[in-house]
Amino acid sequence: MSSFIERRATTAAALIALLAAGLAGTGVARAEDVPAKGGTLIYATDREPTCLDPHVDGDMPQVFVAQQYTDSLVSQDKDGRIGPWLAKDWTISDDGKVYTFHLRDDVTFTNGEKFNAAAVKANLDHIINPATQSSTAGGYIQQYLKTETPDEHTAVVYLKKPYAAFLEVLAQGFLGIEAPSALARGRDENCQSPVGSGPFKVVKWDRKSEIVFERNPDYKWAPPTAKHQGPAYLDRLVWKIIPEPSVRFASLAGGNVDVIESIPPEAEEGAAKDGNLTLLIKDRPGNPTNSALNTRRAPFDDIRVREAFVRSADIQGALDSVFFGRYQRAPGPLSAVTPFASPDFQAHYDYDPDRANKLLDEAGWSERNANGYRIKDGKTLTVEVLIGDFQGPAERSLWEQIQATAAETGFEVKLQNLGFSEWLDRMGKWQYDAVGEYWNTNTADVLRIVFSSEFLGAAGSGGYHQNATGFSNPAFDEVVNKALETTEEGKRRALYLDAQKIIASNYLQVLTFPQSTRLGIYKTAQGVRLEPSLSVPVLYDAWVRK
Amino acid sequence: MTIPLSTSTFAQSRRLPKVSLPPVGASLAMLFLIVLIAASIWPDLFATSNPLKIAPRLAFRPPGLGHPFGTDQSGRDIYSRVIYGAGQSLLLGVGAVAVSMALAIPLGLIGGLGGRLAERFIGWVLDVLFSFPTLILALLFAAHLGGGIGPLIVATGVGNAPGYGRMIFGQTLSVRRAGYIEAARMLGHSPLRIIWRQILPNVMRPLIVMVTMGIGQAIVWSSALSFLGLGAQPPAAEWGTMLAMGRDFVSRAWWLTVFPGLFIVLTTLSTTVVGRYLQRCLEGRTS
Amino acid sequence: MSAPAGRSLQINRLWPLGWLICRRLLSGALVLLASATVTFFALRLTPGDPVRAVLGGPTANPTPETVARAIAEFGLDRPLPVQYLLHIGRLLRGDLGTSFSQHQQVSAVIAEQIGPTLWLTGSAVAVAWLLSTLSVLATARRGWALSAVGSAAETMAAALPQFWLGLVLLAVFAFGLRWFPPQSDGGFLGMVLPTLALAVPLAGFLAQVTRESFELALDQPFILSARMRGLGEGAVRWRHGLRHAALPGISLSAWAIGSLIGNAVLVEVIFSRPGLGRVLYQAVSVQDMPLTIGVTLVVTLVYVVASLAVDLLYILVDPRLKAKRT
Repeated sequence: MSSFIERRATTAAALIALLAAGLAGTGVARAEDVPAKGGTLIYATDREPTCLDPHVDGDMPQVFVAQQYTDSLVSQDKDGRIGPWLAKDWTISDDGKVYTFHLRDDVTFTNGEKFNAAAVKANLDHIINPATQSSTAGGYIQQYLKTETPDEHTAVVYLKKPYAAFLEVLAQGFLGIEAPSALARGRDENCQSPVGSGPFKVVKWDRKSEIVFERNPDYKWAPPTAKHQGPAYLDRLVWKIIPEPSVRFASLAGGNVDVIESIPPEAEEGAAKDGNLTLLIKDRPGNPTNSALNTRRAPFDDIRVREAFVRSADIQGALDSVFFGRYQRAPGPLSAVTPFASPDFQAHYDYDPDRANKLLDEAGWSERNANGYRIKDGKTLTVEVLIGDFQGPAERSLWEQIQATAAETGFEVKLQNLGFSEWLDRMGKWQYDAVGEYWNTNTADVLRIVFSSEFLGAAGSGGYHQNATGFSNPAFDEVVNKALETTEEGKRRALYLDAQKIIASNYLQVLTFPQSTRLGIYKTAQGVRLEPSLSVPVLYDAWVRK
Repeated sequence: MTIPLSTSTFAQSRRLPKVSLPPVGASLAMLFLIVLIAASIWPDLFATSNPLKIAPRLAFRPPGLGHPFGTDQSGRDIYSRVIYGAGQSLLLGVGAVAVSMALAIPLGLIGGLGGRLAERFIGWVLDVLFSFPTLILALLFAAHLGGGIGPLIVATGVGNAPGYGRMIFGQTLSVRRAGYIEAARMLGHSPLRIIWRQILPNVMRPLIVMVTMGIGQAIVWSSALSFLGLGAQPPAAEWGTMLAMGRDFVSRAWWLTVFPGLFIVLTTLSTTVVGRYLQRCLEGRTS
Repeated sequence: MSAPAGRSLQINRLWPLGWLICRRLLSGALVLLASATVTFFALRLTPGDPVRAVLGGPTANPTPETVARAIAEFGLDRPLPVQYLLHIGRLLRGDLGTSFSQHQQVSAVIAEQIGPTLWLTGSAVAVAWLLSTLSVLATARRGWALSAVGSAAETMAAALPQFWLGLVLLAVFAFGLRWFPPQSDGGFLGMVLPTLALAVPLAGFLAQVTRESFELALDQPFILSARMRGLGEGAVRWRHGLRHAALPGISLSAWAIGSLIGNAVLVEVIFSRPGLGRVLYQAVSVQDMPLTIGVTLVVTLVYVVASLAVDLLYILVDPRLKAKRT
């Protein structure tokens, strides 16, 4: 997988884990490779969560924090396979609507409460309760009906309809399991001081400044994907909020912090050469960063114009210049680390200005005006692109370059920079030709959320819709819904291959780069890794040497 | 952003900082402003390339031959962008001051001349608005109006208006109570004639200074809003926007931030110096 | 708040101090009410959707029930005038409400964030006064060249935009020379750069004002008599000149504090510092109405209190008033 770049640190971590497991005490391993107990790791993030409970709202910063203090019902390995965690094993009914989980009986939350079937019920009920305002976790389990608890350690979950992606989404930190008594305190209090059963516990949150975690000394239920068992190595974990990219990177380069998230692209090249630093970079599963083309209005209601636009954009050239050659373009509608992603469709998105010109001529946009833009019936071939202020300067520069290459083919690309609420407003009213989006999730079911007609309607106030392309295709809907009724792996793979083919051949998105987690690590920190479900950093196996 | 209301607040104590700069400073400042105005009218005369034209292969060139101020992350020539930005920035400065004045002059005059009730009420309204920190007022308006140059002018103008309003209000009150107005009244001149011939000119004269200095301050304010992402939108060649785009690269390419910033400083400095010089000339004439 | 030199002096002489304070507090309350009103309408009349903005960011998938619940919880389903009256009613009872976006009481957000901002602006005002006093004492009326250099430096400093100065200081002293930590995390060293970024332009401005009245003061007869009594130049400047010269500067300090808190937005963003400014900036961008109003009220309150304090300070420093009392 070419875009799957795990650099020095992970290989080192894997090696070290092997050494630690196999050779511990033999004295063969070098001192610096043996995990050291104790100490504080300082982690700096760019975005502060608005709530530490990942069930509420559900934005990426929340899952990063939740991964440190919660455990999930099931785990996911790097091949996308589901394994045990808090649930030892499970059975699925033939109709795909009843999941029976057999739970571990030795797990306690950090407030002393026992983990049991009632806790599973409390968590799923909490997620689905509208008062929780759970848009991500709640959105993923809309099929949830109820949980029954026949005994202390058996939880039977009933779904309204078959949902083969259920286990996959359960592996995401967004659905991490929290202590029922903590959830019962009410949303806002639980946001401030949530309680999980994970390797760390949240002790303090100074907003706009830092979140402090301490080791959970009783932890002995790490998932099979972990590199060790027992309590975490670190005594403390300090999660600093440093939004400015240059400040965050300078803090890392000066050794003021041990790990930073979202290493700025302009600093990556230098960091790779810096002997004090390592990079840990991994794509996230889901629908890559893209601009959805609005098929509901001209000019993109014409598939030829859509294809021409996709092929007129020199994405790799733009990525190379904006990200200094450190980003690869997306391989298709699913990023490479998504289960069932196929690399076969990248060619649909190749830069091909000759074909673009030909298609536009065919579609009737054959004349050009004085500026070189194509015209038809007196109208200019204009593409309005919404750029939200949350998209950051790099993505904006990327679009400036796409604007420039598309202009050569005769598209007049208008970049419209908007604040978040204005962006949502335009989005809700379908007033755009292209709009930037991405979707991080560990299941190919993301295709249904982003492209099926089920998600065309107003999911939120103001008409916001997850399917930003306006694509409505009964054949596609049937394929993705059938995939949800199928638990057999080979059949699911075939169905999702069909789904990707339909999407790619309809030219619905200009794909740019896969979302990724990009960490910079100072030499003082070892053993940091990224889990596979959303490429979230796991500091359970990490240690520091200062 | 320094002290936008500086002049206005201070004017109420009827004195302004005295000029102790040599005339050479004033001449240099005027020269700079003239060049700036020329650049904004005929940018092509000065610029060496298209300010919006990207050239990815030329990204992050340090200052040198061909690109005196270097190039930015998309390979655009920063010198040309600064030149084209002059027009935008002057437009912002002049526009914002015009908006401020359009609000402040009627308020101040009505408050100063409209009788007791108007005096009380407008004095209070101006107090309220003045106690809103300018940037917060502008922030609210910018968020309300959305991005772009037009909203930025309005937001900056509205943000600064209370300061000017208070200044004009105070000036009107003090002129109205001045001896020569009494004298004119005793001579039997009509109130309108007094307002037109006596009060307005005496209120407006110090305004020339305020306006000159205010333009520089308004440029700083609007660039602060652009810097926060609320004003002119990239890739517009506006100095504050250029600064905001450049700040992520500050350790890799200092020239992205230094040159637009330097021009903001020089413009503000020049308008201050020229304003003070004008003030000295006016004071010399009136006293 | 009102005319620094003229009116407050008059007031202070004519009315007892208590009356002054009462009057100012009353007008302060009206100012607060008005500022809440302006903020409310500026924010609520802005197009956009505060609910979606807080429900999990751009890639979230809330059910219609969840969205409806959020709308009802924030009270956004009621007519605008009703929302306004309800909010003002709550404010009058001392309840700032709950932030849409932070899942926290507005009062709790402010209590957490006001410390760093006050600390920053307070130290910036102090440093600005120190710098401007030094500059005036050292260069005013010290011969043409020195005076011109001082004056030019002050003009220059006053023309520096704080955000640009902050960036340059950061790039040179934190990223380049590494004398200071890039992020100011509460320690003394971390305070230096943000304080300077706010203080230097303010110092330039205060110095310009002080210099002018200082030079005026030096021309006064009592300076001459002090000199004739054999007082040294330093003592004359310090004890007599500066006391008179400080007056306009002091009365501008209230305005300066208010303005600094506004400008703290920029400095807090650049230096990634916690504080009210950053909170306000985020609150405005997601249309978090209760939080924006809460922060605006606090900033306005600081300004109202500061200007009252300055009026009182004025009485202490003004030698004429002092002479009258003793």
